[in-house]
Amino acid sequence: MDIRKQVPDIKGVLGMNNGGQIKSGRHKPFLTNSRKEAITAYLCLIPAFLGLSMISYIPTLSAFVLSLFKWNGMTSPEFIGFDNYKEMFTIDIYFTDSLKATLVYAFLAVIGSMIYSLFIAILLNMNIPARPLWRSIFFVPYMLPAIGVYTTWRWLYELNYGLFNHINRMLGLPPVKYLESPKNVLPSLALIAVWCAGNLIVIFLAGLQNVPGVYQEAAEIDGANSWQRFWYITIPYMSPIIFYNLLMALIINLQVVTPALAITNGGPQNASMFMSYLIYRYAFTKYKIGYAAAYAAIFFVLVGIFTAILFATSKYWLFYEEEGGK
Amino acid sequence: MIKRKIAILLAAIVMLSLITLSACDGTNKDVPSTGTTGTESSGGTSADERIRITYAQWGNETETAACQAVADKFNAQQDKIYVEVLKIDYDNYIAKLNTMSTAGELPDTAIMSEAGVLTFAKNGLLYDISEMYEENEAKPLDCITFKNNGTPVAYSAANEVLNIWYNIDLLKEVCEKQGLDINQFTPPAKAEDAWSWDEFVRVAQTLTIDVNGRNALDPNFDPNNVDIYGCCVNILPWQLEVWCLSNGGGFFNKDGTECIINQPEAVEALQAIADLSLKYHCAPPVSTAATALSTSLGTEKIVMATDGAWNVGTYLGPDANFEYGVGVLPYFKEKVTICTGGPNVVFATTKHPEEAMTWLKWYYQEENSWDLIENGTWMPILESWYTNSELTDKWINNKNYPEAGMYKSAVVDYAFNNAVSTAWYYVSGTDVFNAALDTAMSYVWTGDMTAREAINKYYDELNRIFLENN
Repeated sequence: MDIRKQVPDIKGVLGMNNGGQIKSGRHKPFLTNSRKEAITAYLCLIPAFLGLSMISYIPTLSAFVLSLFKWNGMTSPEFIGFDNYKEMFTIDIYFTDSLKATLVYAFLAVIGSMIYSLFIAILLNMNIPARPLWRSIFFVPYMLPAIGVYTTWRWLYELNYGLFNHINRMLGLPPVKYLESPKNVLPSLALIAVWCAGNLIVIFLAGLQNVPGVYQEAAEIDGANSWQRFWYITIPYMSPIIFYNLLMALIINLQVVTPALAITNGGPQNASMFMSYLIYRYAFTKYKIGYAAAYAAIFFVLVGIFTAILFATSKYWLFYEEEGGK
Repeated sequence: MIKRKIAILLAAIVMLSLITLSACDGTNKDVPSTGTTGTESSGGTSADERIRITYAQWGNETETAACQAVADKFNAQQDKIYVEVLKIDYDNYIAKLNTMSTAGELPDTAIMSEAGVLTFAKNGLLYDISEMYEENEAKPLDCITFKNNGTPVAYSAANEVLNIWYNIDLLKEVCEKQGLDINQFTPPAKAEDAWSWDEFVRVAQTLTIDVNGRNALDPNFDPNNVDIYGCCVNILPWQLEVWCLSNGGGFFNKDGTECIINQPEAVEALQAIADLSLKYHCAPPVSTAATALSTSLGTEKIVMATDGAWNVGTYLGPDANFEYGVGVLPYFKEKVTICTGGPNVVFATTKHPEEAMTWLKWYYQEENSWDLIENGTWMPILESWYTNSELTDKWINNKNYPEAGMYKSAVVDYAFNNAVSTAWYYVSGTDVFNAALDTAMSYVWTGDMTAREAINKYYDELNRIFLENN
């Protein structure tokens, strides 16, 4: 529906159809076309804004307020100022470990899944036999229920009877402590995240299919080899897609919680004590809801900082054809 | 016409806004307002004038249906009380109860996690149930009574104790391979015959064989290529308590006023569990599989494993592909096991405590949860089932159980004579404590620290958790 066609009727509905004023041209009407469009747009946005406020904005603000209280969820909250933050930075034995675990895991998972998914997308973009089948195979892990994925991988990694160590033994190699060693647990969990990155593959694939073939052909005629065509044509054209995937992967992997819930319980030796998992533990097993809110506030700032860094640096490597290649 | 369309559009926006607002309203439509806030509906009567009480539980669809069937049976017998079953997802159960507590909308009664009972009691949210049973009535066993400063606030709906379970087929195979007399390597079923810890370790080492057929006592044994392990001790933190108690220590002192996990008795016992794998190589290196029989005995590469009696109904009876037996736990200084079981509570906010207790008392009667007892998942809670041979026979003489004589001495008599309460019956905050202990012990399982070093490193945190919650 063309909204401009509604303009006369809006005037009527709102009781503003003062023909004398409009026709005379002596005064600029209050309801100009652009204002009417804006009002209509705002009216249409009200439900979405209300919904988002209730489920997102207000709870987020509430968490900041709650972080200033001592509250176990059962009795009345007690205002304690910044004591929760003080405890977190001075007494809490998990804070440093959780920060480290979250950052290391996010780094491994983001880098790994970006490289893996771009590589797979390039392969799937080639003219290979049974291409739809291969695309499905690589996308399926993303669609599987997370708890099923992690339970299966737990058994693959299992120290004594897992498949990977069974293969090691068959090859005469010693068993590897994938989940039992604090050094190995984060790379092992990050590998699962990489395996599940089917969504990134699909987005990369869509991006690859939009890289103009004419530039590739021109470069080929000019003597550019495959790597040069990839680096100087494909990558710049893909940079907005890479930026989007990087941003999403970063936020999702910083918020990691499922591996700790499903497999490690934060261990061994706190090596997988992710911040989101720790927030869950404080809120729902320790009944320290105010303290968990303080953790959530710090975590929010952390995610915000990384997101801001990503946006700030993007101007140096993002390429938009419409902006003249800037 | 267009005006009308715009009017409809605006009306739709308003309606959507109202729907959004109502969806975010704090009132929970799933939970009737019965029995919580003292309003008319809370203490109200149903259409048939019976007093309505609510019972919250965390079952899945099938379990909820079974619970509803029990409530229906109760309701059919009652002309004064009507029980309404509420379903709350297990994952959000405590969080939901917390929320309901804050909103003043707690149900009248509910099932509760063991570790959550005293936390709720300390906050004044549980009703004193000392009057649930008359003086001369058969009461639940004392060791499965949750006490807040000595006042009973909940009884477990079932009794469970820890035992040693073994794969008879695998035991025979290992003994035949080595020419051993199987009787000397079968876990004793009577407490008086229980193995000392050193005997247990020696047996487990003998039953552990590498790919070359050598057992763990052989100097040429290859610990990196083990075919069959002699034992596996469950490393869930709450189950580790039994070994500390057996060694004359514990996580807490007996009246729950002090955290004593740093004392030598507890530390030595914890180190002994780790040494099974690290030093004696008769248990698999600790992994995520060491927390359930289905993942330890279930590999069919482990001869003996420790865990709770519920496994008869949940794994050994229905799913195990081998003949199994049960024995009593080995001991350090004292022949002891620990008991536990999911409790039901009456909330202090109820307007109908008498009716709530009547319902729970009826629910606790063995005949009303017979299916779970018959299949081996639950053990009865009333003392008479352990002392009256007619009742005991009715309980254990069925196809779902292992040989009755063995089960009676190893589980029934052992539970009655040697079981003491798990710490969460008298100490609050054990779930948090156990989570911290789990972290501390992860250093010990890998051999990166001794138990003494790990407990020393984490004692301040463990003690702080204890003091904060008690």
